[in-house]
Formats: sequence, C-alpha cells, structure tokens
Amino acid sequence: MDRKTELMEFVKEELLHGRKSDLRDDEDLLSAGIIDSLGILQLVGFVEKRYGVQVPDEDVVYENFHSIRALADYLGRN
Amino acid sequence: MLHLLPRAVDIAARRFPEREAVRCSGAFLTYAELASRANGLAQVLRYQGLKRGDRVGIFMNKSLDSAVAMHGIMKAGGAYVPLDPFAPTSRVAFMIRDCGIRHLVTTDLKLDQTALLAEATGELSHLIGATNRDGYECLAWDDVRGATAADPPDIELTEQDLAYILYTSGSTGTPKGIVHTHRSGLSFAVWAAETYGLSCEDRISNHAPLHFDLSTFDFFAAAVAAAATVIVPEAISKLPASLSGWIERERISVWYSVPFALMQLLERGGLQDRDLSSLRWVLFAGEVFPTKHLRRVMAALPHARFSNLYGPTETNVCTFYHVPPLPPGLEEAIPIGKPCANVESLIVDGENAPVKPGETGELLIRGGVVMRGYWGRPDLNERGFFRRRVFNDQYEDVFYRTGDLVRLIPDGNLKYLGRKDRQIKTRGYRVELDEVEAALLSFPGVEEAAAFPVPDGQGSCLIEAAVTAKAGSAPTGPAVLNHVSGKLPSYAVPVKVEVLASFPRTSTGKIDRRKLQERAGAGSEGEPKQQVSVIAEGA
Repeated sequence: MDRKTELMEFVKEELLHGRKSDLRDDEDLLSAGIIDSLGILQLVGFVEKRYGVQVPDEDVVYENFHSIRALADYLGRN
Repeated sequence: MLHLLPRAVDIAARRFPEREAVRCSGAFLTYAELASRANGLAQVLRYQGLKRGDRVGIFMNKSLDSAVAMHGIMKAGGAYVPLDPFAPTSRVAFMIRDCGIRHLVTTDLKLDQTALLAEATGELSHLIGATNRDGYECLAWDDVRGATAADPPDIELTEQDLAYILYTSGSTGTPKGIVHTHRSGLSFAVWAAETYGLSCEDRISNHAPLHFDLSTFDFFAAAVAAAATVIVPEAISKLPASLSGWIERERISVWYSVPFALMQLLERGGLQDRDLSSLRWVLFAGEVFPTKHLRRVMAALPHARFSNLYGPTETNVCTFYHVPPLPPGLEEAIPIGKPCANVESLIVDGENAPVKPGETGELLIRGGVVMRGYWGRPDLNERGFFRRRVFNDQYEDVFYRTGDLVRLIPDGNLKYLGRKDRQIKTRGYRVELDEVEAALLSFPGVEEAAAFPVPDGQGSCLIEAAVTAKAGSAPTGPAVLNHVSGKLPSYAVPVKVEVLASFPRTSTGKIDRRKLQERAGAGSEGEPKQQVSVIAEGA
C-alpha cells in the first residue's frame, strides 16, 4: 500500500469510523471540520509511529495537514 | 435601555460606527455594517412570516454571515438555534424537528447534505442562504447581504423573550434544548464586560463553535463593550502552531476557550517564539484545569491575567475565579470561585436542606443568568429546578440544580468536587454517558453496553466503551463504532469499543463500570505525546 492509501485508510476507518466513505485525497479535512482536534493528534501519532518520523510542532500547520494529499506530499519531502 | 441582546450592537453602532465588530479570515464588518445587515436580515425574516418566539436554525461554518444571522434573528423576534455543522445528519435533523424550526440560515455548501432535509421534514419551509431547492422558499446570500436597513422591524419584545437555544447531550439518548432569554444572555454579557473591563480597544477571540455556550461571551460581551470579535478560522482552529501565530497577528487581547485548547497551545504551539504580549486576559471554562498544567500555561504567558469561569450551559456562567500566582508544588485544583453579580448560590443535601459551611452538597443557582427552561421537556423542567418557599410561604425562589457537587472553602470560594450523575466532560464538551450507551444499544447485535471515561494524560478524559453480544449475533468493535458515529457528535464517540463475552458485575448484579474503567485506565496516564501514540496504537 502506498502512503496516500494508508493515510486514507487510517482517516476513514480510525478517525471517521466509516462516516465518510467517499473522502477524496484532496478534500479539506480542516475547513470542513472532517477531523477534530483529537483527530489531528491521532493523525500525527499515527504518522510518527508508522513512518518513524518526528513531526515538529511547527510543521503541524494547515499547509501540511489540510488534506491527505498534502500530508503525503509533506511526508515525501521529509 | 439595554434589554435585548442585539440592542448592544445598535448602541455600539451609534457610539462607534466605524469600529470593527466582527472579523473573520481577513474580512470584517464595522458596527454600523453589522447593525444594518442584521436589521436587513430581520426585515427579510419578518417578510417570510417569522413570528415572535419562532426558532431559526443557523447551520453553517462560523463567518461574518453567521454573526449577522445571530443578531438578525433576534432582532426579528426569533430565537437562534446554532446547529453543529459537523454533527451527524440524524442528530441535526432531530434538533430541527424538536424545536419546530421553519427557517434555516445556511449555505449551499451545507445543502449538499440533501439527506438532512429529507430527514428533518417537520415544519422546515424556508432556506436562507440557499438557492433553488425544490419544495423550499430559498433566498441566496447575495440577496441577503444586499438587504440592509437603518432600523430593525418594529415589534414588541421584552427581556423575557427567547433569544437562543443551545442543544446539549441528554441522558435519555436524545439532545435537549436549553432555552435562554435576552435577560439571561445579557445578565451574563453585561457582567462579563464589566468584570473583565472590556472596551472598544479589545480584540476578543472566538474559538468555541456557536452551539457551545462559550461563544455567547465572544459575541455578546464583545458587543456590550463595542469590542471586536475575531473568529478563529475553522481551518486553523485545531492546529496549535498556526493558532499561536494567529493570536500574535490578530493582536488578540482576550482569549477564551476550554483548557484543552490552551494545553494544545502550550504543548505544540511554539509559544516561546511568539510575541503574545497583547493578551491581557486568558479565560477558560468547560472543565477543571489541572493545576500543574495551568501553572505552565501561566508561566508561558506572563503578560496575561487568568480567570476561571464556571457554569453549566443552563446558567451561562455563574461563578468565577481570578487565578492568583500558583506556588510551585501546589497540586490541588483551583476553586470555581464566587458567584457572579446578580447570582445567588445554595449548597444543599439530598433533602434540599442547606448543608453546613464546609460540607459537600449539590450547587443550586438562582439569578438573572439562569435559563428559561428546557425546550418541550416538562419532565426535565420539573426535575431541573428547586422551588424554595419564602416569606411565610407566600412566594417561591426558583433555583436551577446544577448536579455539580461543591463545598465552601474557608476563603469564601466554592470548590468543585464532581458530579451527582453520569455526566462527564471530554475536552470541555459535556457528554451524558447514558446517551452514549443508548447509541451503543441501538446497534442491532448489542445486548448490553457500558461507556466510561478514561484519563487522557492531559487532565481531561476520553470515552471508551464495552458491549456484549445478543445471542446469535457477533458485533465487532469497528461495526459498532461506525454505527454510533452516525448518531453522536465526534467528541462523544468512544475512542474504542470492546466486545466482551460478559460484563464484570457488582454485588447487586449491575454492570461494574468502575472495574471496566480501572482495567482500561491502567497504564494510560503518561506524558501527552506518549498518550497520542497509545491512542494510535490502540486504534
């Protein structure tokens, strides 16, 4: 599974519990309130554990976390 | 006379017409603009048949338009009902039916959710901010924004008229509507504006969603003082590093949120790299702020004074406590303080008799800030109030029962000690565990269910649950979770549902929730960042 698919699975299954099966990878997770503040923490935790990276606090910003595609791009750069 | 909430906007518009009233994502309305647009919307609503006391839903992201809607609806004689734009459709539809909403202020974006309209049915007939929806009278935002008026509709309204209804978790499985009047809203707003010395120079953050009672401070106390309300854009409200930059850029002078948001700013907001010296007050409410964390937040924001506001949504805010410097090593929780002006408190035992000073009892509240009642729930209105006969039985004083256990400590402050019932707070949100269990039990294969809080390592808690299967069914944790997330708001959805062969029992045969809680909580207390990994691992 590539990273984007893994992230998509995690968000859909673990954060949204199947509530939004038609989620797109460019859909704005934050402006549309798709994930909440706990969800962000879980997403950061998942990324750090799964990919063995440290996400510095200053990187947890809109540019990097607004969509699954943005997050996958961010991980690709780091 | 300031007897109606939106009058505060009119008065500000006369005194400071060019001052900023509301700002959101780079755009703003002055007080003159807010007043004339709210008047215009009120005229539109009256033209559409809105009557005094009618309920009007606001179903959209926070914006300049939603601020206009709050005031416009009240100017038209209606009560605004903020509906969580991110809540499950069935829940929002329930609220629309429950309080008989006919007019909904919304946006086309949200109306993608055609399912909502199908489910809401009921009396809903007018969509303001929507275009071309068959079966409804629609009015596009372009037309609403163009409608301005120098004066509000000329209608009779008193301070006892309905102003807003906030829905909160209900123990019977459906949310309940808390009805506030102009009087109860203003009692709080005027007190807050005075107590925190708000002026037209202040820039007040709005972090809470509109359906959360903290937002009434952000909009109404600000309007009373002709201060600016600066709405945190939805896109960054959950991102601590972006949020701290926003506070700096917007030169916020008064911040108000649940402790959890401040904890996030402290842990991940990079506060040391920001100049937040514009902050003069940091206000928090919603749940207990653990002293060891509060002390660190205070050290990180040395320019600000800190104040704890306490009060169930039913009373707006009823006590407050300005936090003094906290000595190192102090672990004890800070008190919830003393009653606000125009508020009387009473601590009673199980027989409604006042307890002796220093003894623990239930906190009862009387005064201007108390709600009018629960919408359409005579049972709750009977149970929720205590009527004390006074003056030789000639009159009665009516107190709201908070359900919170408190005691008076020697310095005259009240100390919060817990709940009488099964209501909990998670990240500042109020949740009835009975409502969570009702949602779990509605899954066809579930026989019995228990929901319980577990510590989140940051001084708040998360909800976990366990269920047992009906004979012949084999429900799985994820399937049950999928089901309940269609019924509950995201903060009330358990982080985990375990399927057990049988429940531990107490000696009387009840589900032993304490044992479940202990089992789940074992080893989960830790540093916040580790806690995140624990959640992800368990997920």
